[in-house]
Amino acid sequence: MFNMPVMNEQVHEYAIVTKALNREFKVRLKAEGLLASVRNFFSPASKTVNAVNDLELQINRGDIVGFLGPNGAGKTTTLKMLSGLLVPTSGSIEVLGYTPFNRDHAFLKSISLVMGQKQNLWWDLPPVETFAIHRQIYGLTDAEYKSRIDELIAMLEIADCLETQTRKLSLGQRMRCELAVSLLHQPQILFLDEPTIGLDIIMQKKIRSFLLDYHRRFNPTILLTSHYMDDVAALAQRVIVIDHGNKVYDGHLTDLTNKLHPEKIISVLLNDGEFVCKLEDGCRLIHHEGQHYRFMVSRNRVPELAARLYATGNIADLTIEDPPLEDLIGQLFTPDSQSR
Amino acid sequence: MAMFKADGKFAVLIAYFKIILTYRAMMLIHAIRLLLLPLVLASAWLSIEKTASNPYSDSDYLLYYLLVPVIMNLTDSRVVFKFSQAVKDGSLNRELLKPFPPLMSYLLESLANNALQLLYLVPFTLVFWLFVRDRVLLGHLKPSLLLFFVVAIIIGTLARLVVSGSIALLSFWIEDVTTLNLILNGGIWALLGGMIVPVATFPENIRHIAELLPYRYMLSFPIEIFSGRLSNSEIYIGFATATFWIILFAIIMHIIWKSGLKTYTAYGG
Repeated sequence: MFNMPVMNEQVHEYAIVTKALNREFKVRLKAEGLLASVRNFFSPASKTVNAVNDLELQINRGDIVGFLGPNGAGKTTTLKMLSGLLVPTSGSIEVLGYTPFNRDHAFLKSISLVMGQKQNLWWDLPPVETFAIHRQIYGLTDAEYKSRIDELIAMLEIADCLETQTRKLSLGQRMRCELAVSLLHQPQILFLDEPTIGLDIIMQKKIRSFLLDYHRRFNPTILLTSHYMDDVAALAQRVIVIDHGNKVYDGHLTDLTNKLHPEKIISVLLNDGEFVCKLEDGCRLIHHEGQHYRFMVSRNRVPELAARLYATGNIADLTIEDPPLEDLIGQLFTPDSQSR
Repeated sequence: MAMFKADGKFAVLIAYFKIILTYRAMMLIHAIRLLLLPLVLASAWLSIEKTASNPYSDSDYLLYYLLVPVIMNLTDSRVVFKFSQAVKDGSLNRELLKPFPPLMSYLLESLANNALQLLYLVPFTLVFWLFVRDRVLLGHLKPSLLLFFVVAIIIGTLARLVVSGSIALLSFWIEDVTTLNLILNGGIWALLGGMIVPVATFPENIRHIAELLPYRYMLSFPIEIFSGRLSNSEIYIGFATATFWIILFAIIMHIIWKSGLKTYTAYGG
C-alpha cells in the first residue's frame, strides 16, 4: 500500500496503478417462504461475492479509457475504489501517487467522480449556488473561478439554467451542470460512470463532443463506463473489458473490433433498379428493403468490393461501418466466447 | 473566521440557510411541533395540585415550559435522520468525495436549521411570555447567570450532537437506526432530559441518576441555570459531567466512523 503521497510527475508516469485488486461483498440470502424467514431470523445466511478479482491496471496520464462490461461486472465498484469511496478487500491502488481510501484533501482536489446527475449538485439550490460553494471548498481564487466557470458555461451551453433550482432542471441540463461543477477544480482524473445515461441522442452527442473538446484542452485522464457503446467509440482509444470482476480484455478498441468481428458492413442505396450482381465469397446480404442493401463483408475485401460497387454507376450512396459495438461486446460475454 | 470561510464551511452553512428558507412552511410546522407538547405539559402541570415535596411552583413550571421549546430547538440534531438516509441512498458518497470533513456538512445543516427555527420560536415565546409575564419571575437574572446559561446551551448542543452522531453512525451496520434513536434519543431523553417532568422534581434517587447521565444537560440543565435554581458549584459539576460525556461520545463516534467507512458499501450514485 502507498501511504505517503509523493506528487512527482516524473515518478508517477501512470495516473492509475492497481495490483491484485480485490473487493468482496457479503450478500444476505433468504429462501422463499415463512419458514425460511423464521430460519433466517435465527441463523442469517449469506454468501461472499467477488465484485472485483485480481484486477491489474496501468493507466497513463492523459488517456481516455473505456471501462466496459455487463451489469454487475464490477465497473462501478472499481471506480468507487479508485475514487476512495470503497476500501479494497486486498491488493493495492495508487492514483496520482495517493492511496485513494486515505482521502487526502490533495487527492480529492485532483479527482472528480460523475455518477448520475445529482452527485455534486445541490438539489435544492440553483447550479450557480453549487458552483460558488464548490469554489470555496476547493479553494479557487476569484480569477481561477471566474475564468473557469465562464469557459465551462460557454462550452456546456448552460447559461440559461444557472439560476433555476436544480431539481427543476431537465435531465440534460442537470447532466451538463453536473459536468461543469465536477470540472470546476480542473481535476487531473475524471471518473465518469454512465455520463449519458437517460439522455436523448442529441444530448448524448453534445456531452461526447464536450468531453472530447475538454480533453483536448486540458488533457485530464478519463476513465469512463457507459452502456452506450457510441460513447466509448467516440471517446476512448483504449478499452478495458471486465466480466464477473475479471479483466477479459485490455487494449485498443479497433483491435478488439477486429478480433471479435473480422467483417464490416457496406450499406448501399441504388439510384434505381435492383442489385443484380452475384454475391461472392466473403460477402453476404444481411438486409434488403427497396433500393437499400446492407452487406456483411470481410475486412480485407472491403476496398475492392466498394470500388466495384461504385464502378456499376448506379450508386446513390455508399457507407462502410463497423458492426454495432453493442453486438461485439455482447459476444464477449456469451458462454462460448469465454474460450477466446 | 478566515479559516472557516476559506475552506468552505461558511459557504456550506449559508447554503443550508438558503435551503431552509426556501421551505418556510416546513419551518412553521417544525416550530408548531416544538411548541405543542411543552404547552400541553405546562397546562397539565399547572392544573394539578402540587404536593408539599414538589419544589416547583406554578411560576417555576411556567418559566420552565416557556423555555423548553427554545432549548429543545437549540440543542436539536437532525444528524440521525439525515445520515442514515445518506448511508442508505448512497448520498454519503458526495460528502466523501469532497475535500471537506464529511460529518461537518450534517453538523452545519443542524446548526442552520436550529438557528433559523428561532425566527418562529422567539416571537411565539415572547407572545406567551407577555400573557404570563406577571407570573414569571426574572428578577434574579444577572450577566454571570446569562453567561452560564449560554455556555450550558452550547454544551447541551454538543452533548446531543455526539450522542445523536454515535447513533447515526451505526447506520453503517444497522439498516434502520430511527427506532434505536427513538428509544435512546427520544423516549429516554424526554424522560431523563426533563421534557415531560423537570429533573429537579424527580424523586431524589432518580434525580441523582439523571444528573449522572448526559440527557439532563441537553434540556433541563440550561433552564435550571436560567431559573436561578443552581449554585455555582452545582453549575460547575454539571459542566464537568456534560464535558465527560461529550468527550466519551466523541471518541466513540471517531471509532465508529473509522470502522464504519471500511464496511461502507457506497450503494447508489
